[in-house]
Formats: sequence, structure tokens, C-alpha cells
Amino acid sequence: MNAAARRSVPSFCYNCVAGPDLMRVGVEDGIAVRIEPDERAAAIHPGLGRVCVKAFGLIQKTYNPHRVLQPMKRTNPRKGRDEDPGFVAISWDEALDTIAQRLRDIRGRGLLDEAGLPRLAATFGHGGTPQSYMGTFPAFLSAWGAIDYSFGSGQGVKCVHSEHLYGEFWHRAFTVTADTVHTRYLISCGNNAEVSGGVCAVRRHADARLRGIRRVQVEPHLSPTGACSAEWVPIRPKTDAAFLLALVHVLLHEAARERLDLGFLRERTASPYLVGPDGYYLRETASGKPLIFDSLAGRAVAHDTPGALPTLEGAITVGEAVTHGPDGEVTPWRDVAARTAFAVMADSLKPYTPEWAGAICDIAPATIRRIGQDYLDHACIGETIVVDGETLPFRPVAVTLGKTVNNGWGAYECCWARTMLAVLVGALEVPGGTLGTTVRLNKPHENRLKSVVPGEDGFMAAHFNATRSGEWAARPTGRNAHRSLVPIVGNSPWAQALGPTHLAWMFATDAPKEWPEPPPPEMWFAFRTNPAISFWDTQRIVGTMGRIGFIVAFAYTMDETNHMADILLPDATDLESTQLIRVGGTKYIEQHWDHQGFALRAPAVAPRGEARDFTWIATELARRAGLIERYNAALNRGAAGAPLAGEGFDFSLATDVAHDTETIWDAVCKAASTALSGGGETHDLAWFREHGHHVVPFRREDWYLTPTMARLGLRYELPYQERLLRTGQELGRRLHEQGIHWWDEQLGEYMPIPVWHDVPARWERAVRAAGADPAAYPLWGITTKTMPYTTGNNAGIPLMAEVGRNLRGQGCVVVNATTAAALGIAEGDWVEVRSVTGTTRGRAALVQGCRPDTVVIPGQFEHWKTPVAKDLAWPSLNPLVPLSLALTDATGSGADVVRVALARCAPPAETLA
Amino acid sequence: MTRYVMVADLRRCVGCQTCTAACKEGNATPPGVQWRRVLDIERGTYPDVQRVFLPVGCQHCDDPPCMEVCPTTATRQRADGIVTIDETLCIGCSYCIMACPYDARSLTGAAAYAFGNEPIVSEAQRGTRPAGLATKCDFCAARIDAGVARGLVPGRDPAASPLCVNACISGALSFGDRDDAEGPVARLLAENRWFRLHEEEGTGPGFYYLWDREAP
Repeated sequence: MNAAARRSVPSFCYNCVAGPDLMRVGVEDGIAVRIEPDERAAAIHPGLGRVCVKAFGLIQKTYNPHRVLQPMKRTNPRKGRDEDPGFVAISWDEALDTIAQRLRDIRGRGLLDEAGLPRLAATFGHGGTPQSYMGTFPAFLSAWGAIDYSFGSGQGVKCVHSEHLYGEFWHRAFTVTADTVHTRYLISCGNNAEVSGGVCAVRRHADARLRGIRRVQVEPHLSPTGACSAEWVPIRPKTDAAFLLALVHVLLHEAARERLDLGFLRERTASPYLVGPDGYYLRETASGKPLIFDSLAGRAVAHDTPGALPTLEGAITVGEAVTHGPDGEVTPWRDVAARTAFAVMADSLKPYTPEWAGAICDIAPATIRRIGQDYLDHACIGETIVVDGETLPFRPVAVTLGKTVNNGWGAYECCWARTMLAVLVGALEVPGGTLGTTVRLNKPHENRLKSVVPGEDGFMAAHFNATRSGEWAARPTGRNAHRSLVPIVGNSPWAQALGPTHLAWMFATDAPKEWPEPPPPEMWFAFRTNPAISFWDTQRIVGTMGRIGFIVAFAYTMDETNHMADILLPDATDLESTQLIRVGGTKYIEQHWDHQGFALRAPAVAPRGEARDFTWIATELARRAGLIERYNAALNRGAAGAPLAGEGFDFSLATDVAHDTETIWDAVCKAASTALSGGGETHDLAWFREHGHHVVPFRREDWYLTPTMARLGLRYELPYQERLLRTGQELGRRLHEQGIHWWDEQLGEYMPIPVWHDVPARWERAVRAAGADPAAYPLWGITTKTMPYTTGNNAGIPLMAEVGRNLRGQGCVVVNATTAAALGIAEGDWVEVRSVTGTTRGRAALVQGCRPDTVVIPGQFEHWKTPVAKDLAWPSLNPLVPLSLALTDATGSGADVVRVALARCAPPAETLA
Repeated sequence: MTRYVMVADLRRCVGCQTCTAACKEGNATPPGVQWRRVLDIERGTYPDVQRVFLPVGCQHCDDPPCMEVCPTTATRQRADGIVTIDETLCIGCSYCIMACPYDARSLTGAAAYAFGNEPIVSEAQRGTRPAGLATKCDFCAARIDAGVARGLVPGRDPAASPLCVNACISGALSFGDRDDAEGPVARLLAENRWFRLHEEEGTGPGFYYLWDREAP
């Protein structure tokens, strides 16, 4: 083969939120044959231009013989798992005209239906990553208007949901990480960084291990992250809140006060704010500002009084003040006894001793106490470090949480305790400490520091959904009722998809009687999503899906969700299509770069069959639906990732014509590079195709939020949650005014300081509520991720199955060997795992690294349609977990955990054969 | 002299199988054949358990048992320590497979493909090896040779280094000339505790494991 026939094409992998990562595609004779690291990116990419195992599946993904390679339409109007859709091939013209006609019809009747809900719905898969593969489709969505994004594909139950909401509220932390490059002591409650942290996290943690970081992994089974940690603490499932509250107790009650970062607590938190007898902040009567007690003046003053030295603890009496209760109620107080928020917290945490937690968590109290002390010993309070010429606090201790810990009941307590562990030693958002990474509920997405603006009471502005009378959304505006039920999620463009998305599926067939019956959407776009597999109670999801009017699925292969579709559209996949995306800065998980900029994914090979670039599809849909001007206007505003005009440049597209894919991305490339370089460099599409990426330096100081908070004179809204208390009381009133009491359990979560409740007992009660005896379900069923399969739509890729099998337990039910022996189960035996909701079967993998009371089912499988995947016969936890209001917390979040029974079973018939 | 060796830092390895996939794709090995793979090993009893990830493959021994039993001299050892198989001489007798203490060799069978009986486009482009050949890791010898010919340094320059090393996301795998005292591999071995697999066999493996605990 001559050299000209070989090419190496720059690209990126963003198949999971831990990316994007830069790579190259090796092409021979026009055929993609290998994925290669991008060594030229090693200097700017924290993962050294390398990509994880998933990316190596992209070659097979491209040439998968099971791909849908032409548009198809359904011929069997009956929908169901057991119905043959009768898909037949059609032309692109027929497919697009059919869709466009329905879109025009909807617009003609109005975007909202009689219940006030959008007639058009859309669902995209994992963590927003589909946006990096859907070309200019966001411009189409923007051009359309109201769309219901509430039919989730796992959001809320499969993401780190509570962390998203509380994290962003408290420190602009949609996801939370350790500052791994500096951290010396890390407590990780189930955070599986070595599996789902992406190449940046894996590299950073490996470097940290050699540097001497001590990571304590607290989780029921020994994950790869636990394997690579200094210590494994096998905690009982769903008791992490007790463990973390006990650690806070150790810091508050078993260490001298002077060992805490008292300066940080006084200046950067609400610790000195005075709390009145009714649980609300005591405020200056005239200004309404929260009061602190100035130890220098010997009296209560407004929190922002210059020169004040706030008291953190002690007996305090305030002569005159008011409290602001729910619904604007103002209560005057005279000569009132007050406690600081810090004191309220300390008093609340007093019962949570290591001995108390040890019994709940099944961890030796001495271990909990030692971990708390070690954390404190490593905090380096008083030390500083110079970053970008700025002297910043150095606090090399952090706490991270994993899925199932930071979502569902108990997650509020975990997120609060985790953040307080950082706050107490001044390790929040400083070098070495616990950091946020990006924002999604706040804007701008590309710079979380700029999302910080002063709000009420000396805190950052927060954007809750209104709960006051007359302002509350008394009728749901989306099918998951996120504005009505989850104030903290707000109503930004991402909010609905982050709301309680399982409620949309539940309410579709079991709507609350107090609200109008939600009609199903008339049309639903689905891309890179498979809720028929990736949700709880998947049988029920499939049934509900059949009620949706008209489903347009961008289809890679047949799968369990597009089995229910009316039209299948084959989009050009990763190696076949064009898109420019932002890289660097600080993104999800551990993407902390010293650069920021843009990277191009250019076609390495021609699209297979009749697959078309997503940008072409979006443009054609816009044109045929009569939206081309609005679509182009959205592109000009930046819907493709960068505004096309700015200071000193204008690459705007004419709005009255449909532009081809190259023209659009050429304009985006020029605009993005010009804006990035401040006008210094303008690079067109051809330049990006050759060079792959264009970056500029990103200040490392901007990894940390605290310097921005200090510059703005703001405090973190911790420890006391007055806003949440008021919000919960208002929400309760609104719901009760409508006669709604089915959310009362969730209202109980609006606690100003978290109080432990028996979290695991909720799952036992769920068994009882289903009419079963909890004793019949004696084990915990949980799930875990493995790198080949965590996101990435890889279930149908044989290479992933082959290399995944090298990992113990992949495709199996992982059981503690002693537990298995007691049940007469041997390695490789077929077993059935049963819950009150469903069953799943697989081979047993016997291990020592798992609690005896817990079984682990890795990944999400049990496919019945997806080629290759359906032949794996691998088990899945999803059919076992109920869609349940009782197991939904106040943020609308659930957790992948369920009470189960385990028993040997007969092999499937095909195995016997 | 040059002695190429692999070093796997077990403190870094997370068992992700990226090296496995990169090797399979780069060397176009058929389904089920893994010249590089990572073992997932557990030892101890609950709750005192260790789980260790161990990259394995041909150890490129000083005294390769596979070479000794090869009746056709297909298996050879280069001066730089790399153990190779001359596919034109191999008769597929499997003696070498039986002799290898490291389970590092595979015998090619009937053509097999990722998605069934027919090759996908990329597999057809790469072609298949004939049935009845012993195959194994050769440290990507062709890349090394091509790189060296261009003045590149194996282990330092990706274009002259094994694919698994280039792909390794944790930095666990390192490659290079053990006899280059100033090179990264020699430094790693000089500065860290290490062990080799089945040392008692006396094969002199060219594959070192950095580990700060008892050998798994």
C-alpha cells in the first residue's frame, strides 16, 4: 500500500461524560482500520492524547453489519415488544417529508396540547454527550420552541442526580471531584474513578498513587477503584450518609476547634449567621440581612458589616430582629436567644458518633474514627500554595461520592456531609480539596466561574423554581412536573431533563388525580438513547413507550427502543461525520485542563450506506418544516457551539437559505477560533481537518471557585439550609392546597441540617408495600460499571464483549463466595436474582471482594433486540428495580439498589443444547 | 547491547483492557486471541481482599522454552531479546504453546470474525492469517524496526513503540532498552521493587512488574 492510501485523521471520543478526549483514526484505502492515540495532543490533553478501551470499538461500530443504513418506516401499527414492527426501507425524501408534514401539522395546532404540555418530545442519552454527535440538531430544537425533555433514559436514576442539584447549588459543581493532582488523602464513597472517570482521571489518579495519595474506598464490593486504593472499607449499601455524618462528628466533636479552618468558616460560609427559634435566620429588621454576632462590637450586626469578627459559637441574645418564613411571612423578635448556624450544626451532629454509625454501616467504629482523624491530619490548615502567581490555601484532602451514594434517598445527607467535610477544613474549591467541575443548570456552561453572581443574603444567586403562592407552577409544564415538584432543579434549558425523569414514564400511565391527565407526546425524537434497557422496571417502560404518538429514532442498529419507532433515520456515526466541540477548561468528572479550545471530528471515512451527516438531517428537517430562517438564526446565535458573530468578526450565515454541512461548519470553525484567540487567529474547516484542535492556555487558578467567591465577597450557602427549609415549607403548602399528599415523604427531606433516618429501611418497606415478606429478599442487589461498557452504546460491539470478559464478573452475577456456598452455588452456576418487580438470570461469579449480603450485576444488559447484545444472555439489575414514588427522593432521584433473593436455576434452553 | 523489555507498573494498572483492545485492533488478531491482556486477580478472604490487575503476554524470555521445542526453528530470538515467529516456517505443531509457562501463544484456527462468518469491511482490509500458525506478541517488532530505521527510540517515540504501550491510559506500561542505563526502563527497574513471573522456571522473562507489595 502506498503512503497516500494511508491517512491518520484527527478526531475525538466523547462517548462518555468523562471526555472529550483527542484521538486519531488510522485509515487505509478509505477504510478505517484502527484507533490511535493523538500523540500531538499529549502536551495539551491531561490524558496525553489517549482514549480508553471504548474508543477502540469505533471501528467495529462503523462497519457493524447490523447497522441501519437506510431510512425505514413501520408498517405494523401495533406496537409492543412482541410485535414485529414490519420496518421497510424508504427514501430520505419520504422519511423527511413524513416527519416534516407532522411537524407542520403540530405547529399549525400549537406547540402545546390541551394540558399545556409540549406536543413534541425529545430524549438524548448519556449526560449530554449526544450533543457532540448530533451536529446542528440543537439549532433545529431551538428553532422549534417548546419541547418536552422529561422522558428520561436513566437521568435521575442512573446519574449522580442529587450531586448535580446540590453540588451546583452549593459550589457550582454539576459533578464533583478531588483536585487529584494535589490531593493527599481522599475518601471515596463508591466513586469509581478508575472505571468511569475517563482517561484524565485514570492518569491523574495513577500519578497520585505514585506520589503517595492515600485513597480510602468505601463501597460494598471491591471495584477496580477499590482495588487501586490504599484501603477498602466494605460498607453496607445505602448507609453512606451515616458514615459521612460520623466523619463530620469526628471533626466537630473529637478534635479541637482550632484544628478546623475557622477563618474559612467565618468568612466564606454562613457558619456565623444567627438562627432564631423558628429555624430561620435572624435578620436586621430594616435591611432584612442575616445577622452575625460581632465579637469585637459585642452585638449582632448585618453579615456584611465591614471589620466585624463573627462569633462561631456561644450564648447569644439579639435585642431586635426579624425572621423571614415561608410565603414572605415576617416574624419580629425581641431579646431572642440565638444560636449560630455552626452551633446548630454541631448540636445536630452530636449523636452521630463512630459507634452509632458503626452499627448502621457495619464498619468498626475505630475505622471510622481513624479515617476522620486521618482526614484532619492531612488537611494542612494554614498552608498555602502558589498557583498562576496567586497564593491560595492548600488543603490536600477531599471526599468524593459515587452513583447510588449521591442519588436517591440519603443522597442529600451524603452530599451535605461531603461538602461540610470540605468546608470544615477550608478544603472546598481550593488546591488539593473538593472541587466542582462544570455547570449545567447555571450559565455559561463553558465557564462556571462566570456563573457566579451575587444573590441574596451574601450567597451566590440560586435559581429555584418558584414555590410561593401565585408563582408556583400549579399545573405541570412538562410531563415530569419538574417545576412543580423539584424547586432546586430550576428551569434552565437542562433542568427538565435533569428533573425526575422517571416520573414522566410513571405518570403516563398512573397520573396523579389532582393534575390533568398528561396526554402522550404526539412526536418523540430519540437519539443515542435506549430507555427500554437503561431505566428501571424496563418492562413497564416499553409498555409506556407504545403510547407515544409518533416516534422518530435516529437508529444505529435495531434496538429495544427504536423497535417501537415509526421512522428510523440512519445518521452518520462517529467516524463518518463532522462536528466542532469545545474541549478543555474544566468539564465533567476530572477533565481539568491547562488549555481550552475546540476540536473537530471530521469524517475519517465516507458514511456507510445511506447514512447522512446529522447536520444535513437537521438542516433538511428545518427546511421542510418551514423553520429554515429560525434554524439559521439559531446557528448564528451559537447553537452549533459558538456564536457566528462577535466583537470584530462576523461569519453569520444568510438565514433564508439552507446551507450545506461544510458551509455551516466552516463558519463555526472560523467563528470559534477567532473568538477563542481574541481575533488573533481564524481557522477554517480545512485547517481544523488537518490540525484537529485549536487551544489557548486556561488558567489553573480557574479550576477553583473560592478565589472568585473571595473576590465577590460571597459566602458558600453552608452549613445551614435556610433556603431549603423555606422552600420545602412553601412547596408543602402549595401541594397541600391542591390536596396532594403523595409527595409528603419527599417534603421531609427539606431539612436545614440533615438528620439521619433509616435509609436502607425504605427498601425493605418497599418490599412490604408490594405485599411480600422482606425476609424473602435477604440480599442487596446493586450494580457497577466496567470501562468497556460504561456508556458509549457499546453493547452490540463484539470487541467490548471479548475484552470485557477479562474482568471478573462481567456478564455475571457477582456473589460473595461464602454466601454462594451457603446457597449451594458454585462458580459459573446459573442463578436467578429475584425482586418484587422482576427477575434476571446469569452465571454466578464467586468472589471474596464483595459483602456477604450483597450481589452485584455489572452494566445494563438483558437486550432482546439489539444485535449481538441480545445473544450475550447477560443479566441486568434494571428489570428488578421498581419505578416507585416511595423510592424517589425530594430531588426526584432514585438509586440503583433493590432487595433481592438469589438461588440456583436451570441454564437457559439454548445453553443446554 | 540492546535488550528490549516491557515494564508493567501494577500500582498504575486499573485493568481497563485498553491495551488489550489496542493490541487486538492494531495486530488484527481474531476473536478470542489476545496477545496482550490484563488478568483480574483476587486474593485473600473477605474482608481482607486484594484485587490486582496483571498485564500479561509473551515474556520475551532470555531462554525461551518455546524456542527450544520448536522443530522448525520458526521461533527465534533476536539479538535485542525479542522472540519472534517466522510464519513461513511454522507448521502449527503447538509444541511451543505447550512449552510456554505464560500461556502467551495461540494457534490460529479457521478464519473467525467479530460479527460471525463474514469479515466486516475493516477485517477484510486487514486480511486473516492462515490456519495452523502459532501467534503471539512480538513487542510490535515491525514498528520498532521501522522506527529505529527512522532514528526513533523505542519506548520514547510512539512510532517506534508497541501499540499497547502507546495506548495505556494509566501509564502502567513502559517499554525500552533495559541495557540503556539512562533510559526510562532501566531507571524504573533501578528505582523500584519489581518481580517477574515464574522466575523459578529460569526463563529470564523480559517482562518486569513494578509492585510495592508481595507478588500476586
